[in-house]
Amino acid sequence: MSDSSKDHWYPVGLLSDIYTPRQTLLFGQEISLTHDDTGFVVKKSSGASLPTIERFGHLWTSLGQPDHDLFVIPEANTPGRHLVDVGSVKVKCSPLRAVENFLDIAHFPFIHTDILGAEPHTEVDRYKVEIREGVDEVWATKVKFFQPQAAKSAEGGIITEYMYRVPAPTCAVLYKTCPPRPKEWDIITLFVQPLTEEWCEVWPWMALYDDDSTMAEMVSFQQLIFMQDRSILENQIPLKLPLDPGMETPTQADMTSVAYRRWLKRIGYSYGAQMVAA
Amino acid sequence: MTRLWGIVLNWIAVGLAEDIPVGTVVPRRVDGLDLAIWRSGLGRFHAWDDRCPHRGMRLSHGFVRGEVLACIYHGWQYDLDGACDYIPAHPDLTPPKTICANTYVCEPRNQALWVALGTVNGDVPDIGDRIPIRSLDISCGAPAIARYFDHPQDPLIVLNGKYDLAIALQPSTSRSCFAHVFAGAGQDKKIVSRYVEKLRDELEAA
Repeated sequence: MSDSSKDHWYPVGLLSDIYTPRQTLLFGQEISLTHDDTGFVVKKSSGASLPTIERFGHLWTSLGQPDHDLFVIPEANTPGRHLVDVGSVKVKCSPLRAVENFLDIAHFPFIHTDILGAEPHTEVDRYKVEIREGVDEVWATKVKFFQPQAAKSAEGGIITEYMYRVPAPTCAVLYKTCPPRPKEWDIITLFVQPLTEEWCEVWPWMALYDDDSTMAEMVSFQQLIFMQDRSILENQIPLKLPLDPGMETPTQADMTSVAYRRWLKRIGYSYGAQMVAA
Repeated sequence: MTRLWGIVLNWIAVGLAEDIPVGTVVPRRVDGLDLAIWRSGLGRFHAWDDRCPHRGMRLSHGFVRGEVLACIYHGWQYDLDGACDYIPAHPDLTPPKTICANTYVCEPRNQALWVALGTVNGDVPDIGDRIPIRSLDISCGAPAIARYFDHPQDPLIVLNGKYDLAIALQPSTSRSCFAHVFAGAGQDKKIVSRYVEKLRDELEAA
């Protein structure tokens, strides 16, 4: 199977923060980020320039030949949203494990206790999962779950509805019930930069309707959630994501994860994946 | 029998029983294999692969609820045989019997805790009425330690001597051991502990 992993766009830094030169890794290769009169410049250690895209508050690049534009999130452009650069967290796990955890709701009562979930409200009802042909994205819709504090602006427990979208192998977009505006969705994304197969830098980004919280409060809320996730991600064995069935055991609540793994396999994405059961 | 780094061991010590209180779970590494050792509410000891069959999360990060061990990630509960008996995401589901943690034989005897990774062969080693002193890491392979004391193939190195020492080795990697130390009844734990530290320094220098 030819590996398509390098032919995608990856987040490598914050646009707001990139006037400071940055050295980082992509697929284990050193790259440098600078800014000159023409704009942002990303180079390999050989000096070769890499293509760039500026979107969602982040700078994106690719080591391969992407035959497609970076995905868009049209809903994020509606007026009145706060666009929140959360910053980044480095995690010692496969980029794919980080995405899969983001797609999972069943862990909320145990890992994000009393924030995103709480016992005894642990049941995950059946929801709808599909791989949308045409756009070639994984979508999960009609996901509902009890949350004691669904967002910084939420008070008391509510049934929150979600949609999950995987528009690129290391990116996921969450659309979530928006307490102040019942007809709109809050948008929370997870953009993952593969440093190596077992080490990644996670860049959450948000487009929220929240007029009560300060930017700092919204950032620290999301960072708290992600630090709790990190305690899991760095302790899964193996650190890579097993794509072959047999090594791990999904249930109905894991339908998004099952579709995500199948989709990765189908598009020939192997970076950070464990292909053969150990 | 388990063959580790040239030593044949049937039983491998994984700790002092008193260091794993009722209702707790701890990680232990044997021969590069990660184990979760836990003690149920009724005091029974268990040694399992440190990996939840659901998503590979370390079970040693989990929590003991009475006679079950629950994974921290999604709360899946495993009974004393390692079988999954509750999945919180699907409270009304009876989990299929195929969902099972990988288990090993784990037996306490006197004050020591032992695990058999392969076929159980022979009795659990006996430390007699010795008292537990402490466990300590030694940056030295098990064969080298066994040779140093001229105890080539025994899981329990009995030194006798002034403190009536017995040392049970847990080879963690090819170049390190977790040594579980016991001394004769009535010995002063602090004095023996200091003596054992000196012994460790000698072994690491040898």
